[in-house]
Amino acid sequence: MNSHEQVFLWNRFTLREALLLGFCATFIILTRAGLRLHLHLPGHVMFFTMFFYLLARGCVPKIGAVTLVGLIVSLASILLGMGSKGPVVFVKFLLPALLVDLAGALFPSFISSMVACALVGALAAALRSLSDTGLEWLSGMEEEVLLRKTVVTACLFALYGGFGSLAVPSIIRRLRKNGLIYRGSDRKW
Amino acid sequence: MLRSSDYACQYMTHDSPVHRLGAGWKIAIGTLLSTLAVGVRTPAELLTLVVVALGYYFMARLTLFDLWRDARFFVLQAVLITTLYCLLNGLSKGFWPGVRQSVQIILFYIPGAVLLRTTRTGDMMRGLRRVVSYRLSFLVFVSIRFVPFFLRELDEIMAAQRLRGARLLPRQLIDPRNWGDLFHCLLLPLMVRALKTADDVSLSAEAREFGTRKQRTFINIPRRDESAITAPEGQRPACPAEVRSCCRLGPEARKGLS
Repeated sequence: MNSHEQVFLWNRFTLREALLLGFCATFIILTRAGLRLHLHLPGHVMFFTMFFYLLARGCVPKIGAVTLVGLIVSLASILLGMGSKGPVVFVKFLLPALLVDLAGALFPSFISSMVACALVGALAAALRSLSDTGLEWLSGMEEEVLLRKTVVTACLFALYGGFGSLAVPSIIRRLRKNGLIYRGSDRKW
Repeated sequence: MLRSSDYACQYMTHDSPVHRLGAGWKIAIGTLLSTLAVGVRTPAELLTLVVVALGYYFMARLTLFDLWRDARFFVLQAVLITTLYCLLNGLSKGFWPGVRQSVQIILFYIPGAVLLRTTRTGDMMRGLRRVVSYRLSFLVFVSIRFVPFFLRELDEIMAAQRLRGARLLPRQLIDPRNWGDLFHCLLLPLMVRALKTADDVSLSAEAREFGTRKQRTFINIPRRDESAITAPEGQRPACPAEVRSCCRLGPEARKGLS
């Protein structure tokens, strides 16, 4: 953050950072819209969702950055007619975002490790699958069926989320090398 | 004849009682119906709720085709759930709980589909501004506004990279060995473009003093008389200083000034 930049949102983000996070949300919306037209595989949307969540964390390494992306995606999804699940949309996007933020708070440099990124991506994606499970549990689904279905969907979500997250460290490294994002010492972002 | 939609939950322009309801009412009705959908257990309760939910849906002058568009994913899920129940408990014991569960899930989502199909984006945006801060709603609208911009960028980057030999055709992307090209030749340049655009947009907004005040500000150019508008450049009367500063303030702040 440059010295002349003012804090714009949540006493934390400058306008530039907030806009970049907004654009990450735009990319998630674009990929979700594109994928849901062609594929019908459970969990495949997590491939790009986790990629852009972790990329957002890498570009704006502040606590709350990914939660802000999740919040913008939820609101924009509802406005664009992609939120047919109603209030569950917020849970769907905010749960994994909170987990990525939590991982960032506990291990600030996890974004530069491929294994850590894959692990966080897989966990966050699996957590996302629990939002549907919660609804099914509330509506009284039999526990054994619920458990089997949850295991299958969580595994698929984790697989896609983990794969999507694998590419993040190398992209962050290249952006840092070219001085496009916050490097830790020169504080461009 | 009623028109049909091109995709699930697409807004449909009709004159129906549901369309005329405010977004807040629709959210309240939707929340109530969804809560009831989670709570029903007996066949009689479920049947009543199906009738109410479908009545609400068709009251919005939506067609059976629209319903199929909105619910087809859940129908596939219903087949999976019912099959799992039947496999676990046998056909006779597992069929009804599986069907009940599947119908409950479909009923939970129908009110959301009605809200999206009967409420204009503009109305929802107005509603959103009442609930979240103007700074957050600004970010939401910017991210929506830039969807076509980044689609164009994506197209241009993809065309240029394909000319350079990147394997970005849909059939090539099925092969995981080509995913490296997807990330490094398409998503990396797109991210660089996003960084540049964020820079430009924030500079442009800050130059207009956007976000410098706590309350929302508006551009409110004061009306000048016809002669002032038609007067040649250089001879037009300038706005008084207090009007110029007022242009940057919201209605409450302007009230305070007067």
